[in-house]
Amino acid sequence: MSVVQPTLRAHGTARRALRARLRNWALGLLGLAAAVGVWQLSSGFVGSTLMPGFAPSASDAWTILTGPVLSQDLIPSIERTLAGFAISAVLGVSVGLITGYYRAAREWTAGVFDFLRSLPTPLLIPVALTLFGLGGNMVVAVIVTAATWPVLINTANATRALDPTLVDTARALGLRGPAFMSRVVLPAVSPQIFAGLRVAISVSLAVMVVAEILGGSSGIGYFIANAQQSFAITDSYAGVLILCLLGWAFDSFFLLIEHRLLAWQRGTVGGGQHV
Amino acid sequence: MSIDGAPASRQADVTPAHRPSADGALRPGRRWHAPARAVGGILVAIALWELISVSGIVKAQALAGVGPTASALVTHSGRLLSAAGGTLEAWGVGLGIAALLGITLGSLVGRSPVAEAFTEIVVRMMRPLPSLALIPVAILIAGLGLKMTAGLVAFTSFWPIFINTRYGVQQVDNLFIDTARTLGLTRARLLLRVIVPAAAPLIASGLQVAISLALVVTVSVELVSGSGGIGTFVMQAQQGNAVPTMYAGIISGGILGWILNRGFATLSTRMLPWANRLEQR
Repeated sequence: MSVVQPTLRAHGTARRALRARLRNWALGLLGLAAAVGVWQLSSGFVGSTLMPGFAPSASDAWTILTGPVLSQDLIPSIERTLAGFAISAVLGVSVGLITGYYRAAREWTAGVFDFLRSLPTPLLIPVALTLFGLGGNMVVAVIVTAATWPVLINTANATRALDPTLVDTARALGLRGPAFMSRVVLPAVSPQIFAGLRVAISVSLAVMVVAEILGGSSGIGYFIANAQQSFAITDSYAGVLILCLLGWAFDSFFLLIEHRLLAWQRGTVGGGQHV
Repeated sequence: MSIDGAPASRQADVTPAHRPSADGALRPGRRWHAPARAVGGILVAIALWELISVSGIVKAQALAGVGPTASALVTHSGRLLSAAGGTLEAWGVGLGIAALLGITLGSLVGRSPVAEAFTEIVVRMMRPLPSLALIPVAILIAGLGLKMTAGLVAFTSFWPIFINTRYGVQQVDNLFIDTARTLGLTRARLLLRVIVPAAAPLIASGLQVAISLALVVTVSVELVSGSGGIGTFVMQAQQGNAVPTMYAGIISGGILGWILNRGFATLSTRMLPWANRLEQR
């Protein structure tokens, strides 16, 4: 990675950088167009109703988004995803801080946590189905069993690797207990927590879909599975397209928040990395 | 562990490579503590499980006791093993394809700024796509069976491998590359002998993510489609109301995941002894 020295950031360099960015965007859009073109062409080539082209799928997605499916399926799905994500975030950060900071807690839980996080969580869907029945609570519960781990592990690893000078200074200044955790440890590990949260949001979305396919009574996953079973094939493609956009929106929104909230630590840690 | 407290990975897309632990080295006399406590923790968890199931807080249709689950594990061990074999087959085929494509394309795209810009938006849209939504579509196109499961596994696990390889290849020290060029290596040899080995630690952490992801996808397809394997085993047990059998299936899935994760982690630290040195630099 080339590090641009501040003295070199003259006018010409800035303009060249802008031009390079514009070129990259143009290339990226070209790539997107190429991908869409390949989809359209291959569906025309196959000529089967099982593989509708991009254009009918996209227009169908638009009809779905403006129709009753939006409030019946999409909004409940988003709510479940966010609820599961929020519970996972709180759980993951608080347990991660404890197991990261206290050696005994870490060692006692290591075996159990190792096993539980290796467990492919969709296997728990049948259990959640018997516990919560069909519907929203089941989906949220399954999301929590999956999305907690990336947050927990990132938080614990970062807390474990805390700078001893930072810890000692805070201790010498008399910070203890919750104040110490929330004002010293939490800010120091927040970059990794965010990295974990970003993984967790996409995990939440993915798990939400399987849970809804298997045991939803509403939701976008239910919609896609239903469309497939009733051979409304364009509908199920449209559903996937909508989910693709949703995932992208969550991810971009997340990067934006991260950029804002962590603006203070850019330049103070890690050195000349500009993401 | 990094002592400067710097984040292991500034790019959230990229999974950090393994870091060596300083804990054990500091107090060599108490090394046995950690594994003993881990085992103790598992025993405590099993005791808690039994306590909850006996107390009846959770209804019996949802939670089997420890004893019945253990005996179900024994009586169904044959079926469980063959189910695990089926799961492993789809997992392995899919992951193999993903690794081949992900490492090849990742190292090529990572070395070419134009190719990277060209694929950037598509990659950013595909990466957060919940691929499990593709299960119904994949069933439509490819029908039930190994081809469909492996294809979906390959599609899903391609992304972390590709993204980590691309990033790893870009992180290679220019000194290595310049030295190799001075020594007259051809482009192909430069890629194979210098760049890919130097990027191997990051490729390995991409693979580590892909391993669990591939298992999740395999099991999900099995749950949804009933095509065999651990997922179908658990689903059928639940539908037949055989709660201990269902738990035996879940535990077997966990053990399978644990073996795959642990196995790969051990293998990659053995095979990539330079990973730790690179990380500390």
